[in-house]
Amino acid sequence: MTRYILKRILSGIFTIWVTTIAVTLLIHLVPGDPVQIMYAQSQSTTPEQLEQIRHQLGLDRPIYEQYLMYMSRLLQGDFGTTIRGRQPVLELLLGRLPNTLLLAFASLVITILVGVTAGFFAAHKRGTWVDTTLMTGAILGISIPSFWLGLMLMYIFSLRLGWLPVSGTDLKNLILPAMTLGLANAAAVSRLTRSSMLDVFTQDYIRTARAKGLAERMVLLRHAFRNGMVNVVNMLGLQFTYMMGGAIVVENVFAWNGIGRLAIQSIFQRDYPTIQGFILIFAAVVVTVSIILDILYAWIDPRITYS
Amino acid sequence: MVPPATTAQPTAPSLTQTSLNKARRFFSALLRNPGSRIGLFLCLVLVFTALFAPLLAPHSPTELGVGRALTPPNAEFWFGTDEFGRDLLSRVIYGSRLTLKVGLIAVGISMTVGVLVGLVAGYAGGWLEAILMRTVDVLFSFTETLIALAAVAVLGPSLTNAMIAVGISSIPYYARITYGAVLVEKNKEYFKAAQALGAQHGRLLFRHILPNILSPIIVIATVGVSIAVLSASALSFLGLGAQPPSPEWGAILAAGRDYFKTAPWITTFPGVAIALTVLGFNLLGDGLREALDPQQRQ
Repeated sequence: MTRYILKRILSGIFTIWVTTIAVTLLIHLVPGDPVQIMYAQSQSTTPEQLEQIRHQLGLDRPIYEQYLMYMSRLLQGDFGTTIRGRQPVLELLLGRLPNTLLLAFASLVITILVGVTAGFFAAHKRGTWVDTTLMTGAILGISIPSFWLGLMLMYIFSLRLGWLPVSGTDLKNLILPAMTLGLANAAAVSRLTRSSMLDVFTQDYIRTARAKGLAERMVLLRHAFRNGMVNVVNMLGLQFTYMMGGAIVVENVFAWNGIGRLAIQSIFQRDYPTIQGFILIFAAVVVTVSIILDILYAWIDPRITYS
Repeated sequence: MVPPATTAQPTAPSLTQTSLNKARRFFSALLRNPGSRIGLFLCLVLVFTALFAPLLAPHSPTELGVGRALTPPNAEFWFGTDEFGRDLLSRVIYGSRLTLKVGLIAVGISMTVGVLVGLVAGYAGGWLEAILMRTVDVLFSFTETLIALAAVAVLGPSLTNAMIAVGISSIPYYARITYGAVLVEKNKEYFKAAQALGAQHGRLLFRHILPNILSPIIVIATVGVSIAVLSASALSFLGLGAQPPSPEWGAILAAGRDYFKTAPWITTFPGVAIALTVLGFNLLGDGLREALDPQQRQ
């Protein structure tokens, strides 16, 4: 087990290290002069000032030196400053991160509750109208763009019914974005749960459990459900990654003040230090949460070999 | 025209016959499933609309003041008009061209690069395999959204760049599926026989392995079109893809947000169009998976 955990942590560190290289290269892949592009939209800067900024960012040095500089600054917690306003990037991102995490976890809960319930009942009532209805709903759910679902929910619950606010950052404002993101992913989870449950239903131990006269409720809950969930739990890490990705879009629909909204704004402003910081923080969060979920999974499922 | 195939060699007709039979069996298996019938229909509607947009659209997609601004749907303007009095139906019809283009080009990019990476990694083994597949693993641990955003951040916002970005973002999927399939094929008798007979690398890869792993790739590519359409429209919705006055569906939706309360039809119809397109390719992909996988076919 210890070896497995170590291996997962090492691979996580490797991923983040590769990300730091990618992020350093990012600015060099920009067609044209990144410094000029960054400052083109805002202040009137003279060529001398641009040269000075280039020097400050270290862009006039060889690329390996830039990387070493960037790394040593990162390790000291210095992610640079924003182009406009000169705010420390790390501070800005960490200030917004809790909002994104809150949205992602709230959505994950909705995804699991709705997706697993729907998938379980579809499999249990296989071939009936319940199954058909739920799975039709699921394929529709997969096909509806989350930003559109968000707008439609906003239209119904905020504009027509007036039950919920359109946007903002207190807890009541979390309901619609979390529903949007949660339902969009619940569709995929319900399909996964259904096929996983169908596999379990044909297993010998289910037939044995029924044959020994166990109540159907017990067969379903104790034997089928618990085993069917193994696959679903295994997918949690991946699902969380999807939630983080989906949050970028949904935050922008509801003006939810997370790092996704900040990322889009900084892409518009060509604020590369912030974009770089965003990618790093995003990668770090996704990698860390995946490792934690994987370790939990290995701990829960006794069949996993920790090698 | 004289069909050249019949005169070629005596074995040719029977070969054509078996592949014809195979194709017929495949299509009947595909069309037996009501889901894939609907999917195929929706995809054909999209292609038809895209091809014949100039004939189908009652107005120009970009002409201002065709009707009064923000006219609700009526007999003349079936989908209503937008804030500039443009005919929304015509915009949605022309938007299908962009959607189809985005889907095909993005999938083209991710499939070509991904399949090539997977083929080479699986076939070559050694350090090349290690480097390629570790890179794919790293990319895989981010979401497609993040990769696409990073690509747009580098390239700058435009529909072409969004297509490229979406294409890049799905490369890891194709690479992984191909890689896994190559590893399986490499251990099969036919491959070892061809290798023992001294076939060249290129021939082994493209004449022996590739044709045998095409079915999973076709399925992924079909579903991939729906993912590409979703991602690209999301980028356009965020303002990072198609720019106004382009009739791209995500861009129409984004512009319609400002008139959401008074003119909800501007956001409704492009959204339905995206959903139906994505649904079509999803259903078709599901159907293809069942028709191509003999284990699932009863």
